[in-house]
Amino acid sequence: MLKLLRKIVQTGRVTGTVPLDAGPRPSLLLNAAHPLRGSVQIRQVDAGSCNGCETEFAAAFGPVYDVERFGVRLVASPRHADALVVTGPVTRNMAVPLVKTFEATPGPKLVIALGDCARDCGVFAGGYGVAGSVADVVPVDVEIPGCPPTPDDIVASLRRVVGR
Amino acid sequence: MIGGALALAAGAALFAIAVGAVLPVRQRVVWVGLFTALCAGAGGVAAAAVLAGGNTFTADFPDLFPLGGVRIEFDALSAIFVLATAVVAVPAAIYGIGYSARGPSSRPAQVAWPLLVWGVMMVPAAGNVTGLIAFWELMALSSFVLVLAEHHHNPEARTAAQWYASMTHLSLLTIVLALAVLAHQAGGDSFTAIRAGTDHIGPTTATVVFLLSLVGFGAKAGVAPLHVWLPRAHPEAPSHVSALMSGAMVALGVYGLIRVGWDLLGGGPTWWGATVLAVGLVSAMFGILHALISSDLKRLLAYSTTENMGLVFIGVGAAGMFASSGNQPLASVALAASMLLVVNHAAFKGLLFLGAGSILSATGTRDLDRLGGLARRMPVTAATFAVGSLAIAALPPLNGFVSEWLLLQSLVHSLPSNAAVVAVAMPVAVAVVALTGGLAAATFVKAFGTTFLALPRTVEADQAHESPRTMQIGLIALAGVCVALALAPTALAAPLQRVSLAVGGLADGRPIHTNGVYLQLSGIEAGLSPLLLATGLAVMMVAVLVVVRRGRLRRTVRDIPAWGCGRTVQTARMEYTATSFAEPLQRVFDDVLHPEIDIDVDHRTESRHYVQAIRYRMHIRDGFEHRLYLPVLSVVRRWGDGARRVQNGSIHRYLAYSLITLIVVLVVSR
Ligand code: SF4
Repeated sequence: MLKLLRKIVQTGRVTGTVPLDAGPRPSLLLNAAHPLRGSVQIRQVDAGSCNGCETEFAAAFGPVYDVERFGVRLVASPRHADALVVTGPVTRNMAVPLVKTFEATPGPKLVIALGDCARDCGVFAGGYGVAGSVADVVPVDVEIPGCPPTPDDIVASLRRVVGR
Repeated sequence: MIGGALALAAGAALFAIAVGAVLPVRQRVVWVGLFTALCAGAGGVAAAAVLAGGNTFTADFPDLFPLGGVRIEFDALSAIFVLATAVVAVPAAIYGIGYSARGPSSRPAQVAWPLLVWGVMMVPAAGNVTGLIAFWELMALSSFVLVLAEHHHNPEARTAAQWYASMTHLSLLTIVLALAVLAHQAGGDSFTAIRAGTDHIGPTTATVVFLLSLVGFGAKAGVAPLHVWLPRAHPEAPSHVSALMSGAMVALGVYGLIRVGWDLLGGGPTWWGATVLAVGLVSAMFGILHALISSDLKRLLAYSTTENMGLVFIGVGAAGMFASSGNQPLASVALAASMLLVVNHAAFKGLLFLGAGSILSATGTRDLDRLGGLARRMPVTAATFAVGSLAIAALPPLNGFVSEWLLLQSLVHSLPSNAAVVAVAMPVAVAVVALTGGLAAATFVKAFGTTFLALPRTVEADQAHESPRTMQIGLIALAGVCVALALAPTALAAPLQRVSLAVGGLADGRPIHTNGVYLQLSGIEAGLSPLLLATGLAVMMVAVLVVVRRGRLRRTVRDIPAWGCGRTVQTARMEYTATSFAEPLQRVFDDVLHPEIDIDVDHRTESRHYVQAIRYRMHIRDGFEHRLYLPVLSVVRRWGDGARRVQNGSIHRYLAYSLITLIVVLVVSR
């Protein structure tokens, strides 16, 4: 207990600042009147990734990058979500579930393709189990490039999406 | 008028018995049903006349039996129980026409049914010990026949009947003992004579009589720990019979207890009431916990009967405690609450059992985990079952709420009490009543949801059809009674006052004042208007509906399937079942319920790391049965085995016994 308290005191604040213009710029910036501006609830869908993207994405929600302070939150069901973050190339097994998830998400909604695989199948392009990129299956609004994108990139992109 | 109605009831019952014995099967079920309904209706009219007019009806049949006559004494206390019987028996009899045509149409069953209805109605009408015992046994025997009615294709019915017969005769034995001692000490067989002779009864005798009758009548009422027959017998009996047994017959246990304890004996020390209250508390909690985890629909309803009788016992016990500690007005309110609960329980439990019967005859199963999706296939059953579920969960605006409210009011307002027992017992009682209310809501959400909503889980449920017209009439009539009792319990204010005046030892006064709309309790700053409450709720619901509709019109609406984690195939096997619904609450009460859980894992032969099949079995035993009855039964069995060594069926040995006896007698009497 004491050890833990000492650790907390010694470590202090670890959350860094991420400049808005770091990393690649996503194509979409929600305008001031957009209903999702300021708060976006995200459901993450792994459509067949190598899990590299997930690791970085999870890091973005950790104490160091802490993207939640910008109004981006993870939720457990597409019914609660405003946006889907899809990683990986869409494998044949995940194509139907992805469409179902997209349908289950109430509008207005965004689809964010995270990582090179999600954008254009990356290193998996042409694989026998790959159905295509995310854009081949559901309409994509935002792309975040990188293999995998760094948490800095992810936070910056998401900040531009929520506009905070 | 009252005499005429009672005579008509007896005549109709006799006629129904006669046609049940002679007519061929098709006409038999129709005529038996109609005349049984007439019998119950006539009884109901007599009861209503007594409750409305306030006069008592008496009649003597001195030479009916060789050893003693039967006296009829029909006062307000009798009348409220006869009214409760009529409320459930008339619809049940009409329902029985359609139900019996597909099920229990045999002669014994059709003869026993009018006998049971008449017996249940005449028990409270009996005005002397002989009459009470005669009608009691009539009721017990005819219901026993009916529990066995479907034993040909249902072997479970036989064990159920054995339990029922033993418990019911244990009950009869103690009642006969109690009443015989009472009649002997008071010097008379009729209730009037006993009341007049209570001065000759010492406190010890009174206590013995009270305790014996608590055991006897408690066993009939199905309160813990004497309830063991109830969750066995009620599911196995034909459903309209279960409705009557659960709605009206068990309530006679309460009748008997009040009649003997507080009318004939004129009440006793505070611990009488406290004992009844304690029994009620245990039964209410125990009953609702087992109802919650039960996945057999009729068993669930049977356990919920134990719970409701527990609540009635809480009311009666509280009334007894208030009366002994000198708070008569509050005692009247508590008594009124339990009497109202008896009438309400007859209506909603009757309705639910009839609904369960509809489901059973449409699908052939009572297992909630094998039902589902019946709302679309059986709309009348679904709607009426919903009314019954709301009522039994004591949710406003239905009738269960009014009686629960009254009960809680009487318990809560006892708090500034000078008697220590009262001050300790009442908060506990309030907590238990509140907890059972919550658990009852969960139980009936489960019962209704898994039966009627979502997708059918089996082919049988998928192919279910709505029941025949006669059964629907029974269901709709009882749902109507529930709604009427919910909107106008004020109509029962004056009758409840008469009941409370009839029980001199418990209460005197006017428990409820009313101006037709408001219920105002005597001595308590509390009022309720069920009518206004219902209207308010209805207005609010309509308002919400309108707002939602208008909102829908302005938005674009997409219709998409329910979210199932993106699965490509979804089947009814993936639905929430009754067992899984109850699981979280069952975990909370694990320490009380002690579930036995077996998990068998089969591995593939190639490798231990690959699982082939997992079998999960969970079984929850009735704690009282397991720890109280089975040890006693095993001792009895051991004695029986011992006796078998002496009496082993060999004629030679019996001849030897006779010879030895003869020699001994000769030697001794030489
Ligand atoms: S983009 Fe790179 S890290 Fe992300 S899923 Fe594809 S291969 Fe893995």
